[in-house]
Amino acid sequence: MALLLRLTGNQLLRHQSKTLCKFVRPVTLKPSQYVPPVQMGHDERNMKLGRPQSPHLTIYKPQLTAMLSISHRATGIVLAGYAVMFSLAAVWLECPIEYYIEQIRCAELGPACIFGIKFTLAFPLLYHFWNGIRHLLWDTGRFLTIKEVYLTGWTMLAVTIASAIVLSGY
Amino acid sequence: MALSLMLRNGTKLRGIAGLQKCTFNVQKTQNFTQFLNQDNYKTLSLVNKCKTQFINVAQQSKRNMSADHGKLWTLEKIVSLALLGIVPATFLFCNPLLDDLFALATVIHFHWGLEACVIDYIRPIIVGPVLPKIALLLLYVISATTLGGLLYFNHTQIGIGRAFRQFWCISE
Ligand code: HEM
Repeated sequence: MALLLRLTGNQLLRHQSKTLCKFVRPVTLKPSQYVPPVQMGHDERNMKLGRPQSPHLTIYKPQLTAMLSISHRATGIVLAGYAVMFSLAAVWLECPIEYYIEQIRCAELGPACIFGIKFTLAFPLLYHFWNGIRHLLWDTGRFLTIKEVYLTGWTMLAVTIASAIVLSGY
Repeated sequence: MALSLMLRNGTKLRGIAGLQKCTFNVQKTQNFTQFLNQDNYKTLSLVNKCKTQFINVAQQSKRNMSADHGKLWTLEKIVSLALLGIVPATFLFCNPLLDDLFALATVIHFHWGLEACVIDYIRPIIVGPVLPKIALLLLYVISATTLGGLLYFNHTQIGIGRAFRQFWCISE
């Protein structure tokens, strides 16, 4: 790579030696103390200039795209929470899980309550599952126009709600 | 977990090596551009192309925590794709192998997912340099113990798939 660059550089110098003469002018060089440039990150600069955080959440109208995006993250975090709690319970609780399932059954919570519990478990998983397909399709470069993003967004939402209701009532 | 550690640090090391090369190249190309004028469109565009490419790589390595996320990204997507099959299969078939696969793939997947959240929200510029490191360390502890707990459940009890199936039959 260095060799390549040097070769092109030499070529350039040779080509340009005539035109370079046009720019020749007297220059006085004066040594001065080296001042290192201020190292500032993107966030740092924005904070110093008082710029708002991007995206500017307080002035943006809530749009389907942004809402579905943050919901994917939220459901992912909720599911991770379920996994962590399940794992902790498996280690801490003394009886086998059949015992606790039996306890809940004997509590006779009523169909609405059981539907609610199942929905709380199923909805985040199904949302994350169906929307995950959308994410993976985007990652292959498909369905990326605004029109398609909205179309797949509404479709995903309908499929998620329908499948969550069916599975919770099962 | 060890796999993810190795991958992360692997890319980091390679990134550092690449960074030195890149800055060197940027300086070289910048020197050349000083000699350019309008008459030389061909070489101009060529050198510019090289220049922007090198600068992009150099900036990326400076901005990101791990310099080259490319390989890890592919692995993340492969795990997500695998989950697409593993998650329904685990609850449909109640198979011990699927139960363990579910535990492993889920924990790897949410570890990377939560890592992204930690990097996004617990930023050094807001909370100082120490807290992000503690948060990441804590995440490793959480992910490792969760994987341990899920595998323990699979091997001492009825398995994740069957457990949720039994719970779903609660109203019968
Ligand atoms: C059922 C199959 C699943 C699929 C297809 C899937 C797919 C995905 C994809 C593609 C992403 C990346 C989103 C992005 O590019 O920003 C993601 C993020 C995430 N997933 Fe999953 N996932 C699945 C199951 C799970 C499960 C079971 C959990 C938790 C136990 C989980 C937790 C997370 C978390 C925490 C994130 C990070 C969210 C973010 O960074 O915005 N996922 N998932």
